[in-house]
Amino acid sequence: MSDKAILAASYLGPAGHGNDLTGIRPWGAPLSDALGRGELGELHWSLVFASDPGRFARMDYMSRLGLMAVELLEAGLDALPVRTRDRLGVCVETRAGSLSTDVRFLQTPRASLFAYTLPSTLIGEICIRYRLRGPVLCLMAPTRLGFASLDEACCWLDEGEADACLCLGCEAVEPETARAMDLETATSNWHACAALVGAPEGRPRERAMGSGTDSLLKTCLDLCGQRPTGVHPVGAELPTNAPGRDPLAKAALKATLPTANRD
Amino acid sequence: MTTLGLGVERLEQALLGNASGLRVCPGLAGKGYSSAVAGQVPEPVFEQLRDRDATHADARAFLLANAALSEAVLSARGLEAVSPSRRALVLSTTKADMDALERLFRREPCSAAARRHIQPSLLAEDLAAAQGVAGPVQCVSAACISGLLALKQGALLIRRGRADAVFVAGVDLLSHFVLSGFTTLKSLDAEGCRPFDRDRGGLSLGEGAGALVLARRELAPPRAISVRGWGVSDDANHLTGPSRDGSGLALAISRALTSGGASAEEIDYLHAHGTGTSYNDAMESRALRTVFGGQVPPFGSSKGMLGHTLGAAGILETILCLIALRAQTLPGTPRLREPDPAVPASVVATPRPAERLRKLLKVNCGFGGTNAAVLLERNGE
Amino acid sequence: MQALIDELKSRIITTLGLERVQPADIQAEAPLFGGGLGLDSIDALELVAMLDQEYGIVIEERTVADQAFASVRALAEFVATHRPKCP
Repeated sequence: MSDKAILAASYLGPAGHGNDLTGIRPWGAPLSDALGRGELGELHWSLVFASDPGRFARMDYMSRLGLMAVELLEAGLDALPVRTRDRLGVCVETRAGSLSTDVRFLQTPRASLFAYTLPSTLIGEICIRYRLRGPVLCLMAPTRLGFASLDEACCWLDEGEADACLCLGCEAVEPETARAMDLETATSNWHACAALVGAPEGRPRERAMGSGTDSLLKTCLDLCGQRPTGVHPVGAELPTNAPGRDPLAKAALKATLPTANRD
Repeated sequence: MTTLGLGVERLEQALLGNASGLRVCPGLAGKGYSSAVAGQVPEPVFEQLRDRDATHADARAFLLANAALSEAVLSARGLEAVSPSRRALVLSTTKADMDALERLFRREPCSAAARRHIQPSLLAEDLAAAQGVAGPVQCVSAACISGLLALKQGALLIRRGRADAVFVAGVDLLSHFVLSGFTTLKSLDAEGCRPFDRDRGGLSLGEGAGALVLARRELAPPRAISVRGWGVSDDANHLTGPSRDGSGLALAISRALTSGGASAEEIDYLHAHGTGTSYNDAMESRALRTVFGGQVPPFGSSKGMLGHTLGAAGILETILCLIALRAQTLPGTPRLREPDPAVPASVVATPRPAERLRKLLKVNCGFGGTNAAVLLERNGE
Repeated sequence: MQALIDELKSRIITTLGLERVQPADIQAEAPLFGGGLGLDSIDALELVAMLDQEYGIVIEERTVADQAFASVRALAEFVATHRPKCP
């Protein structure tokens, strides 16, 4: 069992965006109103990227959100040596997956849409953008808590499959397509939350040190859009080898959420 | 559960006979798809499954996957010793019950049961419930490598001590969605796929479900086949076209060899992805040469038999590998007529008895530049 | 021909969703693929679909597409030659 820590975490959602350094900053008006209504088309790459990360306009919202969340980490991924990039895994989890793009494809069958009718396409975009060739996985999660990917990352590090892992929880269902399909509106909330998990030595010095598992899990919950109340400095070690399904989710639920708010 | 019908025996017969289950499907003609040739599960099979399970009458993905799981569970010896909370389930699918989504879209009737399965994780939950699984449930959806990833996840659940037996299933339907999608990509062969063939012109789609049971070594029968190792990688190159030099796949294969403690020379056969598109087969050929140099082991593809079954591919093709290992027979490559000269000469066109068939690699490649390889080994002797 | 070239430039930009690219940015003689626009095989498919929808031209063979998409001028010539004449 090796020590593991969240080296960086980021979040984008209706309430705002940010990372563990900046905290979650609300979007300015009128953007905040549009994003509150789920108008994901308003998210332009320039909000987060210095230059177009490769045909952003052609990507589906899930890929856009995911890329923005990873860039928001400000984890210096662009500058990593090849050896490190080959050992950097990517684990995505999502509940609704590419549902909105699926509906759009049914409406208008086009090659450029079909490429995005898979929740794992987001992984491809991330690997292309940051030139990562490590292990990858896309999990379809039953809840929106976002911990299955963190759990998986911890295991990969323990098992030597990767030295670090990008975990991403992403939901990008548009209210429009959800309404068109008469689907439950719970799936129409959107967010993307990214975390870079790795050995504690890998954490850049300027990232604040914190302590306490509760604080970390609370951070994760906040960042997953449950209650964006602010960000605690990340730095606590993650619990290892917890048993059962959604181990971190179970621990988190016990520690921080009242029953009514559980998803 | 495939175009060949119900049951593993059909797969075995088809493997030994190098048969193809690809047919011109009358229901696909005149719909604007660039091919009407596919590996469709015969309607009588669905009727049979519906008779057994009226609640899920229109939940086709569930019917197929549940039937596959039940068959696997029946033939898994020693399972009684594993309590429900130590049993896990991992599902692999790319589009789950896409038929249900389409019906909703067209405002056609759709049962609540089928509607749930638009969400892949709920399909996994319902299958777990139907199969008495009370342990971890996972659902993997990573394009065409989903099946092998599910196998890996299943093995990891056991290794991580979270389960003693894991049911691994893969399912995907031949939906209007995927037919029309691959039509827009112009990757379908109108005549039916011919993997590694000189005249290959694209892939053929298939539908089906496959399932197998992984168990902790101590619980498994002595002659059981082991999942020895795996490798996963991304090309980091292009979304729908594989990396030209095959380096991503080569990387996945070397990772599988390393994790399984095997060297390239020990591989007796490689079951390729072999979709029959110009690009894929050329890329795989390059990857094989990169890993194996001048000594590419015998290899082939079964997509001429079942079509490309997407999320079910990794599982169904692994089952074919298991059949080959048990029968000590090298599988052929159905529908291959004349190998492309650029393809390594060790491609196996027709099945033949193996001198030695002990360590076998199964590989798949998917959208997003993803690659996966699993090392299987026959124990004993 | 110039009018058709200009029209095609606009259609390419719209169909492919090329942000911040103006018709003036695309040189008529420059290679469409492998050039500065960063177009890939999915874009090629979209352009083939566009030709069908907007000009009634169906391309079946890859080699035909390669020639037609060599440059905007080549595309204009291709369209001028192959578009069905209105009755």
